[in-house]
Amino acid sequence: MIRRESAVAGRIHELLFISVVLWFACGSMAESSGEPLSPHQSARHVLDRLAFGPGPGDVDRVEAMGWEAWVRGQLDPKSVENDASDKYVLEHFPSLAMTMDQVWAAYNPPYESDPPTQAQIQKRNELRYKLSQELVGSVIYRAVYSERRFEEVMAEFWRNHFNVDQGKDEVQYLAAHYEQTVIRRHQFGKFSDMLLASARHPAMLIYLDNDVSQKPLTDREKRMLVRYEGRKYQPRSVAAIGRQRGLNENYARELMELHTLGVQNENRKGGYSQRDVTELARLLTGWTAGRPRGESTGYGFIYRESVHDEDSKRVLGMRFDGREGEAGGVRFIRALAEHEQTARFISLKFCRYLVNDDPPAGLVDEVARVFVETDGDLAEVYKAILFSDTFMARANYRAKFRTPFEFVVASLRATGAEVTGFGGTQEALRRMGQPVYRCVDPTGYSDTAEAWLDPGVLVYRWDFALRLARGQVPGARIPDAFWRGLPKEKPSALKRALAEALLAEGTGGEGWGNIEQALGKKPEPEHAAGLVLGSPMFQEQ
Amino acid sequence: MATTRRQFIKQTGSLALGAAGLGALGARTVFGAADGATPGKPTLVVLYLRGGSDPLSALIPYGDRTYYNIRPTIAVPKPVGENPRAQVIALDDYFGFHPSMAGLARLFKKGLMAPIVNAGSTHPTRSHFDAQDFMERAAPGVKSVTEGWLNRYLYMTKTGGDSDLRAVSFQPVLPRSLRGQYPALAVPEADAQSAAAAFAGLYGCDDAKATAKAQASGGSDKSADADETGRAGGRERIIDAGAQGIARLGRLNEVLKSDNYKPSAKYPDTVLGGQFRDIAKLIKARAGLEVAAIDYNGWDHHAMQGASYGVFNNMMGNVSRTIEAFVEDLGPVIDRTVVLTMSEFGRTARENGNSGSDHGHGGYMLAVGGPVNGGKFYGKWTGLSSRSLYEGRDLPVHTDFRDVFAEILAGLYGFQADDHQFFPEYDAKEKALGLIKT
Repeated sequence: MIRRESAVAGRIHELLFISVVLWFACGSMAESSGEPLSPHQSARHVLDRLAFGPGPGDVDRVEAMGWEAWVRGQLDPKSVENDASDKYVLEHFPSLAMTMDQVWAAYNPPYESDPPTQAQIQKRNELRYKLSQELVGSVIYRAVYSERRFEEVMAEFWRNHFNVDQGKDEVQYLAAHYEQTVIRRHQFGKFSDMLLASARHPAMLIYLDNDVSQKPLTDREKRMLVRYEGRKYQPRSVAAIGRQRGLNENYARELMELHTLGVQNENRKGGYSQRDVTELARLLTGWTAGRPRGESTGYGFIYRESVHDEDSKRVLGMRFDGREGEAGGVRFIRALAEHEQTARFISLKFCRYLVNDDPPAGLVDEVARVFVETDGDLAEVYKAILFSDTFMARANYRAKFRTPFEFVVASLRATGAEVTGFGGTQEALRRMGQPVYRCVDPTGYSDTAEAWLDPGVLVYRWDFALRLARGQVPGARIPDAFWRGLPKEKPSALKRALAEALLAEGTGGEGWGNIEQALGKKPEPEHAAGLVLGSPMFQEQ
Repeated sequence: MATTRRQFIKQTGSLALGAAGLGALGARTVFGAADGATPGKPTLVVLYLRGGSDPLSALIPYGDRTYYNIRPTIAVPKPVGENPRAQVIALDDYFGFHPSMAGLARLFKKGLMAPIVNAGSTHPTRSHFDAQDFMERAAPGVKSVTEGWLNRYLYMTKTGGDSDLRAVSFQPVLPRSLRGQYPALAVPEADAQSAAAAFAGLYGCDDAKATAKAQASGGSDKSADADETGRAGGRERIIDAGAQGIARLGRLNEVLKSDNYKPSAKYPDTVLGGQFRDIAKLIKARAGLEVAAIDYNGWDHHAMQGASYGVFNNMMGNVSRTIEAFVEDLGPVIDRTVVLTMSEFGRTARENGNSGSDHGHGGYMLAVGGPVNGGKFYGKWTGLSSRSLYEGRDLPVHTDFRDVFAEILAGLYGFQADDHQFFPEYDAKEKALGLIKT
C-alpha cells in the first residue's frame, strides 16, 4: 500500500494532479458543510466500516440501540458475548488453539519408513493443506460470523500491516499461532507490545529473513577467502567462513519502512537512511527462530549470540556498544514504537482504512496526538477516530471502495449466507488477487481504491456475485429464509425487496434507477440478487 | 545531464497531455485499427521471472574453473561425456546454456536469440519487493513513481485510435509493469467471463441503459454532483472500470473465437504455454496487441535448486519449450515480435549451505525475436573471482536494465526514452548494446 498510495505521484501530469487535489479538497470541505447523517445512515455507516457490512436486521438493531452504544461495546470486544463463534472455531480449526510445536507434530508427522511411501507423502501433503485451510477458514468464518465485529475489522488491518505469507518456507506451520498471539492478543493493547511480539515471532523472523541474517564477514575473513579461492584444499575454518551468509537487511528495512516510521521518512532529516538500515540489521543479528530440531528444542524465539555482531552500532542516533546483545534490539524496537513518526504513520493508515482513502490532515494530526499521549494504547486510538466528527461526516459516507475481501464478506453477510466450507471463498479471493494469508509482498494488501479498481478484478466480483446467488460457491449457501422473504410474483416488489435487503440506501440511493432498469421486466430472483451484489453501489462502503 | 524529479514530472506530464490531446482530435495515424487491415506496430512480450532467477544456472561459464569450485553441488557438468542431457550446451569455448535450454540454444544458433550477462539494477537492494518494484517501474530507488514502465510507455504514446487490446496480460491481476493510468486488460479465467455480459447494463455499456441513466440523473452536471457529495466521482470510476472491462473482454472474445483456430506449434501443457499460445493467437489476429506481460513465479531457489535436473531445470525447460513453440507458431510474424525475460536480481555466485543460492545482485536477460541481433552474448563479463564480484559475493551489474528497455522501445517503436524523460533521474544509453536491428 505504501507504494501504491500516491497514485498521483510520478507519472501523472500536473493538470490531473491538480484536479485530483481539488477533488479531494472538495470532499474535505463537504465534511463540514454536508448535512449530518440520519440515525439510520449512521447505523449503516458503522456497520459498513466496522463490521464488514450489515447482516439481515443489523441496521435496525444498531439504529435502535444508537450507533454510539454499539461502537462503545465493539471497542471492548470482551464485553461482547461470542460463545457460538468461539466454539465453532475451536471445533473446526483446532490448530488455532495449538502451540507451534503441537501444530508441527500434528500436521507434519514423521514418516513411518525411510524412504517414505507414496501414501505417506500424500498424507503429509493433505495435512499441510488442511492446516492452511484451517487458518484461512477461521479468518473468513470470524469475519462473517463473530459478534465482535470491529475486532475482525482490525484483525484484517493488522494482518496486512504485519503481513506474513503462508507460502514462504515453514510459515504455514506458524501462521495460526502468529494470528492468535501477535495479531489478536495485542490489537486492543499497546502498539509496542504488538511490534515486539511480531519481531520475535518465528513466522516474521522467517518471512522477512532475519532468521538467516548473521554478522558480516570481517576484512580478515574476506582476505582469507580470497587467499584460498580456487584451491582444492581449504582449511575447515575457511570453508565455514565461506558458508557464512552475512547480513540480511530485509527485516531491518521493513521494520522501519512498513511497520513503524513509514517510507516517507526514508532519507529524510529525522528519518532513516540506508546506513540506519544496515546498522539495525547488525543490531538484530542473532534474533532467530528456534525449531524442533538441531540445537533448539522447539519453535520459538532464540537469540543466538554466536552470530550476533558485537561491534558498536548507531541507529537513528541511538548508540549501542555491542555488549548489550539481545537487550539492544529490544531497546531499539521499544524506541521505534514510541517514535513520533511511527504515531503519525500508523494513524494515517488507520484513518485511510476506517475513514477515507485520503483522510483530512487535521484528523490524522489529532489521532497521532492521542497515539503519542497514550503511549500507543490502540483501543484509545481507535476511539479517537470513531468518535471524531470526521468519521461520521457525510463526505465519508459510502466513500470507500470495498477491497475484494470486504466485498466477499459483505456479500456473505448481507445475504445471511451459511458458510460451512471455505475453499470456494478462498478460491474466489485468490482470483480477485486477495487470498487470505497469501500476500507475498510485506506491504500486505492495499485498502485503497487505487489498488483494486481494475476491470479484470471487477469481472471476478460479478462472477462471485452470480455464483453465490445461484448456490454455486462451494461451501457457501444463501438460506431458504432469504429467498422466502422475497415477493416473487410482482417484479417491482421483488426489486424493491432486494434493494432494501442488500443496498445501503435501498431504493432511495442514487443509481437505483439504473439498477432497476438493468434488472429487467421479469427478474428471476437468483439472477437479480447476483446483479445487485455485483452492482456499482454494492462495491462501496 | 541528470534529470531532477521535478523536471521528470513536468516534462513527462506535458508530453502525456500533448499525446492525449492529439489522440482526442484523431490527428494521429491509427495503428492496429480494429478492422485488422494494417499490420500494426510490433509486439513486445515481457516475461518476468519472479523471485530472482539464477544467472549462473542459465548462462553457464563452464570454461571457468571457479564456477565448479564455488558450486560443488549445483554446477552443471562440462559438455563432455556420455549424456548430453545432463551437460552444459556449449555455445563457445567458455559460455553455454543450461541443458533445459535446448530450444533457446536452437534459436540462438538461428540468430533469433540473445542473452545479456551481468544485467540488472544498480540499486543495491536484495529485497524481492523493492527490486521488483524498481525494475517494473524502471525507477530504482524512486518510490514515488508508482506506475509500471510499460504502462507509462503506453500512456505517453496513446492515441484516440488505440486498439482495445493494445495491452493485455493473460493472468487475473496485472503485472506491476502494466499497472497505471493506461487501461491494460488483465484477462480473467474463461469461466468467469460470462459474468461480464450480465453486467453490461449495470455498468453503462448498453445504449438504452446509458440513456436511462442520463435521464435518471435529471440531466444535471455530473462533476457538480461529485463536488457536492465528494463521492459520486468514486461511483463514476467504478462504472468506468467495469465498462472498460466489458468492452475489452468483448473485443478479445470476438478476436479469439472468430474461427477454428489451431496454433501452428505444440506448446507445453503448462500455464505459461497456454499464455504464450493465447498471445500468439492475438498477434496473428492483428488485433492491435502491442504489449503483453506475464509473470512466472517461483525462482527464489534458496535450497535444492538442482544442477542438470531439479526445480531450476523444470522451470527453465518450461520457458525454453514455450518460447521455441511461440517462435514456430508465429512464423514470419516473429519478425515483428520480441520476447524479453528479466528477473529482479541474480543470486549469490557461491552456492549456500542448502544446495541453493541466496539473493544476489547482477542477473541476466534473454531477448528473442526477429528484430533481435541474435546469436551472440551481450554485456560485459568480468569473471567469478572474489575481486570482480559485487561485494565479494554476487555477479556485478554492468548493463543497466533501463538501457535494455530504452533500446527496445527505440528499436521497436522509435520511442526515444530520454527525449521523453522516461526514466526518473537517469539518462539511458539507447544504443549501448546494439541488441535490436536497425
